[in-house]
Amino acid sequence: MRGLTKHFPVYGEGFRRKLLGVIKAVDDISFDLAPGESLGLVGESGSGKTTTARCLLRALNPTAGEVHFRLPDGRVVDLAKVAERELKPIRQHAQMVFQDPFSSLNPRMTVREIVGEPLVIHGLASGAELDDRVSEVLRRVGLKPEHRSRYPHAFSGGQRQRIGIARALIMRPSLIVCDEATSALDMSVQAQVLDLLKELQREFQLTYLLVAHNLDVVRNFCDRVAVMRQGRIVEVAPTQQIFAAPQHAYTKILLSAVPSPDPDVRMNFNVGDELAKLDAAG
Amino acid sequence: MNFPPEAPILDVKNLRVSFPSAEGPVGAVQNVSFSIARGRTLALVGESGSGKTVTAHALLKLVRPPGRIEAGRMVFRSRRVGEIDLAHLDEKSGLLFKVRGGLISLIFQEPMTALSPVHTIGSQIDEAILVHQEVSPAAARRQTLDMLNRVGIGDAVRRYAQYPHELSGGMRQRVVIAMALVCRPELLIADEPTTALDVTIQAQILGLIKSLQSDIGCSVLLITHDLGVVAQVADEVAVMHRGEIVERGGVRAVLKNPQHRQTRALLEALPSRRAVVA
Repeated sequence: MRGLTKHFPVYGEGFRRKLLGVIKAVDDISFDLAPGESLGLVGESGSGKTTTARCLLRALNPTAGEVHFRLPDGRVVDLAKVAERELKPIRQHAQMVFQDPFSSLNPRMTVREIVGEPLVIHGLASGAELDDRVSEVLRRVGLKPEHRSRYPHAFSGGQRQRIGIARALIMRPSLIVCDEATSALDMSVQAQVLDLLKELQREFQLTYLLVAHNLDVVRNFCDRVAVMRQGRIVEVAPTQQIFAAPQHAYTKILLSAVPSPDPDVRMNFNVGDELAKLDAAG
Repeated sequence: MNFPPEAPILDVKNLRVSFPSAEGPVGAVQNVSFSIARGRTLALVGESGSGKTVTAHALLKLVRPPGRIEAGRMVFRSRRVGEIDLAHLDEKSGLLFKVRGGLISLIFQEPMTALSPVHTIGSQIDEAILVHQEVSPAAARRQTLDMLNRVGIGDAVRRYAQYPHELSGGMRQRVVIAMALVCRPELLIADEPTTALDVTIQAQILGLIKSLQSDIGCSVLLITHDLGVVAQVADEVAVMHRGEIVERGGVRAVLKNPQHRQTRALLEALPSRRAVVA
């Protein structure tokens, strides 16, 4: 990804809708994602991480920049520029798992329909083959094939997130973008889902972009971490290094605000003033 | 009312709350006992469904029917009105009305649902004051503005006239805290007060609760699933699992040397404590 920028126009009220200015949600972002790597994109709400993820998959049209994506056949396409109608076959290879396991699954569709839908949309399987592939992928994410005919409400949060993962995985993608995929879950369930994602990564050579506001989640999962603030990446480094020796002042503040379960490691309650100072210093 | 300093502000003994189901009553809270020392913070931790929120709701008799408090005593020692057993407060009594929001306040997890979307934040805080104190609207407004300042909302006069949707999540949670503390409660129940917030906002809100606690001199029951928050904010901790308290004690003792399997499981689930299966 090179120089990705996404601006949202802001219009005035009234008939003429005068253009008042633009919000630079994502401002000149560049990073690389190696095959089989997990990159964590970390930032607070409003930092632009979700916008970045959506632009990457072309769910939003970027204002500027390039997103070079290598297809399994070796061709490289610029996802930021390809025409809408050429996008569909490319999208098989890059899938997304969403944050909220409650609103991201259609309550009126059975698990079979939800998980099989991508194959149907892309015309890749039907009938018995579709059924087999749904069963196989459900088994792979730790659900039972018998669950196929049930509706989402019959499942817990963790199970729903497994359904979301199955839906992404059934396309046999090379890249999966997880947008806060575990934020809505209890800690222990979160741990199980992260373990599953890790296993799947080894088995299918997946590349992950993990969007998270929680530093703890990326800590054991990602190879590298990119820290975003106010639409820009302030620091990218191997995970170990980010946690052991953060370079940017913002990363340091962010880490100091995490409550440690060790009562002898005091957290920093004074981050408000420190962030204000950082902003004042530009 | 004077109590010996060692008398806990709250003593809960053998609390049972159950909900009817097709297979008979389900004990959401079973035989739970704990106490909170005056001026201190007790954290109630557990996973979702462990009964921690139901316990908090029971204290204010907010358990929704058909759920009901089956047994137990909840002795609250108020400096203002004396010793009350919350379990046996009549639903229609003036005392329960006084307890809710006056002597014991509750901060909810999701600030957007705790605030009315069609009233200004100022009028909502004013209302909390006018319900519990005999003061003029002008005096209530002065208290509200003062409280907004104290919870770190700058430009209080402008904020007073704004609606909840005009504020960020962190600001809304500050408003909810202002509303909860404006009547100077003796006990504050904070139910996952920072779970929906970013870490830097969480740090500020937790810091705020701590400093207001010592200002106002209230005790705190903190409900959370995050042992990190427990370690940083609470004095004592009670771990809940399937409606029962499985371990309790001082924060340092419990977190440094957990005895119960469930406490260890909660600690091990923390990403900073574990390595994902390699």
